[in-house]
Amino acid sequence: MQSTRNPQDDLYRDAIDAYGAALSRLARAWEADLDARQDLLQEMHFALWRSFATFDGRCSLRTWIYRVAHNAATSHVMRSRRGKSRTLVSIEEIEESREMGSLAAKSDTNQSIEQTQILDRLYAMIHRLNPLDRQVILLYLEGVDAASIGEVTGLSSGYVATKIHRIKAILIERFHNGGNHDQP
Amino acid sequence: MTSHNSPNELLNVWQSQKVGAIAMSVDELRRASNKLARRVFWRNTREAMAAAIGVAAYGYYFYEFRTPLLRLGSGLTVVGVLLTMFNLHRKGSAASMGKEMDSRSCLDFHRSELVRQRELLASVWEWYLLPFVPGMSLFMVGLIQLTLSQPGAASRHGSIALGFAVVCGLMAAAFLIVWKLNKWEAGNLQKRIDELDAMKGQAG
Repeated sequence: MQSTRNPQDDLYRDAIDAYGAALSRLARAWEADLDARQDLLQEMHFALWRSFATFDGRCSLRTWIYRVAHNAATSHVMRSRRGKSRTLVSIEEIEESREMGSLAAKSDTNQSIEQTQILDRLYAMIHRLNPLDRQVILLYLEGVDAASIGEVTGLSSGYVATKIHRIKAILIERFHNGGNHDQP
Repeated sequence: MTSHNSPNELLNVWQSQKVGAIAMSVDELRRASNKLARRVFWRNTREAMAAAIGVAAYGYYFYEFRTPLLRLGSGLTVVGVLLTMFNLHRKGSAASMGKEMDSRSCLDFHRSELVRQRELLASVWEWYLLPFVPGMSLFMVGLIQLTLSQPGAASRHGSIALGFAVVCGLMAAAFLIVWKLNKWEAGNLQKRIDELDAMKGQAG
């Protein structure tokens, strides 16, 4: 006897197989608090599963997944930011500021930094970004090209390319050999 | 120890990090869906109960007080409660509560959520406060009229007037504060919408 397969469930399983880890990284990048992060991750999974009821194939599965996940994250942040006064900044403001050195691990010496320290600093920088710039840098870090980032975010690919150029400059400047340029 | 001399190496570090990827089973998702439906149901029930309490209270006043002004004021307040609840139900649902967590681009989604919230806050006077004004005003005037018609009231005109002035003043102040706070927050949201529009303008 053949069991009935639900396309919505199948799409969700395929999506999680391919992008489950990316969603977890995305949740960590959007939410610093561990408990809230778990809630956000579940919200993303739930939003994704629900969205597949109306998936029509007009865009790629990857674009759809990132759009739904980032939109769920934006909603989450907008809800949780009510009552919080922390100012979010743009990539350009990060680029212009010289305070990133303070985000580096205090125990850094001239040696290279372990991956976890680099990731901690990256997350610290990302947590300060406004939603759209955060989306751009996260998609870039996931290896999504400028045109596809434009498709996900709604920004033009030229604009995204400019943003990516700045992101690369920040990464090279701040993370080159563990950011040792900040030290005398 | 590693050194990271190019963004591509950082991309590798990013993509290879260990994360506790979760996969919710379809049964868990269906349970979550039912839970959301129950949450919406109880939210609606709470709103309906709050409205029922208001309607019951002013319905009681309608039958208890016999003067035309108090009856009209009570009736209009009941209408105001129902109208506000209707507006709350119509305007209050976030996109995340429905199936609209859709495939719109992040920019469009973010902007539409900000616009929705701004509209809700900027029009709080029309949909949340104004419906109560006619009924409550008439009710207060009716109360003043009733109080003044009581035996011995003529000798206490000054204190009665002062008492009602204080009550009316406090009510007006509460309305004003709610209105101003919502206007201020709507202004903050408008700034964020303007920033998005400027970004879209640059991007276009």
